[in-house]
Amino acid sequence: MNSVRSYVLLLRWQYLRYRPLLPLLAGIQVALGVGVIFGFSFLVPHLTSTVVLYFATGAPTLSLILMGLTALPQEVAQNRSTGKFTYVAALPVPRLAPMFADVTFWMLIQLPGAVVTLLLANLRFGLHLNISGLVVPAVILVALTASAVGYAIAVALPPNATSQVSSFVSIALLLFSPINFPLDRLPVWLQDVHRALPVTYMSDIMRGGLTGRYDVSRWLAFAVVAAWCALGLTVSGRAARHRG
Amino acid sequence: MTLLQVEHVTKRYRGGVLANDDICLDVAAGEVFGLLGPNGAGKTTLVSQVLGLLLPDEGTIRIGDVDAIADPAAARRMCSFQPQAAAPVDGLSAREAIELIGAIRGGRKATVRTRASELLDALDLADVADRAVPMSGGMARLTGFCMAAVVPGRVVVLDEPTNDVDPLRRRALWQEIRKVADDGAAVLLVTHNVLEAERCVDRLAIIGGGRVLAQGPPASLKAQLGAPLRLDCALDDPTNVPRLPAAITLSSVTGRRLLAHVQHHDVAAAVAWAQSAQDEGTIVEFSLTAASLEDVYARWVEAEASAA
Repeated sequence: MNSVRSYVLLLRWQYLRYRPLLPLLAGIQVALGVGVIFGFSFLVPHLTSTVVLYFATGAPTLSLILMGLTALPQEVAQNRSTGKFTYVAALPVPRLAPMFADVTFWMLIQLPGAVVTLLLANLRFGLHLNISGLVVPAVILVALTASAVGYAIAVALPPNATSQVSSFVSIALLLFSPINFPLDRLPVWLQDVHRALPVTYMSDIMRGGLTGRYDVSRWLAFAVVAAWCALGLTVSGRAARHRG
Repeated sequence: MTLLQVEHVTKRYRGGVLANDDICLDVAAGEVFGLLGPNGAGKTTLVSQVLGLLLPDEGTIRIGDVDAIADPAAARRMCSFQPQAAAPVDGLSAREAIELIGAIRGGRKATVRTRASELLDALDLADVADRAVPMSGGMARLTGFCMAAVVPGRVVVLDEPTNDVDPLRRRALWQEIRKVADDGAAVLLVTHNVLEAERCVDRLAIIGGGRVLAQGPPASLKAQLGAPLRLDCALDDPTNVPRLPAAITLSSVTGRRLLAHVQHHDVAAAVAWAQSAQDEGTIVEFSLTAASLEDVYARWVEAEASAA
């Protein structure tokens, strides 16, 4: 069985599993997309073009990161509790194929919400979109990097600890990561920390792919995220192959 | 031809628990091999090592010509598996789940479809096969078996396949397990259902405390009991166990149940004693039947528990 066929069949499994919930899941993402735009108007009364830029492009970035670092680990933890994780592990599929299938499924679920957010930002606040082809590798890199780390956490920790760690990471990302605001708003020491972490670069390649505006060199940003992605996949691959 | 060969496998978990201790067994093509033992005996640990999910500390596992420890991916290709937990079929109809696993195991679409229908019919699941509704435990278990049997590996591992299954479907399930072996697979069957397994397995191993306590065909293990008949008595008062004559060998007293064994030539004496005890009121009822695999199982497991 080749890897691509395994991946497609596991993706189909995920689709069949969530088939009855698809309208609800997509609806929630669209509602969140609308909520981001109108909610931000209350949160920040005087919206400048920079604030709109960061909010509108930060929302889909944050969604992708949270998908990888919270939704995916929680699903893995649930699968470990119900036995699905072991069942899939006993199938003749590449070790990371289930993770790639899950990432793809949840990425597609988030797509309508991201589109609505950007369209509304454009209509309501005049966000100037300049979407380039680089947005595709940006979305895939961001989702894969976060998911690889999230998957490794979920495999390494006991299932009941995974949701606690995921929640902690979510709050840290929401409050202390330069996704919805520029890096220079953070204290200098935290800026230095973020220069070594991938989050700043993730939001940069997403923002650049959607609007053409990069805070750092686009190739540097892509290189840093790709390096973190490779590291994350190496770690999660080792976790998936670990036999106890 | 031996398809599964487990030699001197030992597995100790990090906390120090010795789950498998020098386990040796082999299963040939066309054979159903039972793995019997109480909860925590180490059966699932052994199965996980065969499937390449756990790494033994010592020993070798071969599936056909493949070293399953060195090449776990090949082991997974050559084994199909029904887990002890219910198969993960949430949101899927039974047919979708079976065909999906058939495809993942590399089956051709038309062959998988035909085989899925055969299995669903054989296990009387055809009426519910196409409804993606929450399944009862028994239905999920039967679907799990079909998922393991739709494109069977050379080794088919079934972990408690009959749990939660109703008696009629259970009978059909045993027939299908037999068929999988007759078609050339080596079936490793983990079960607690000792009485029913007796009709299906060709050989078995009784595992306790992580070790193989006894191994062989049911008939030869029963012969080791030393008595071909079982006397099963219901005591009136569990604190008042009647004294047995020399013709009857006591096996165990559990609550009100007294189990003993009898030789063919002592049948008349045993029945006379039991009738007399019943007349006196020390036993409420009794039966004399051929010794079963359950007697073998009880003897070995109780001996292991006493030794521990």
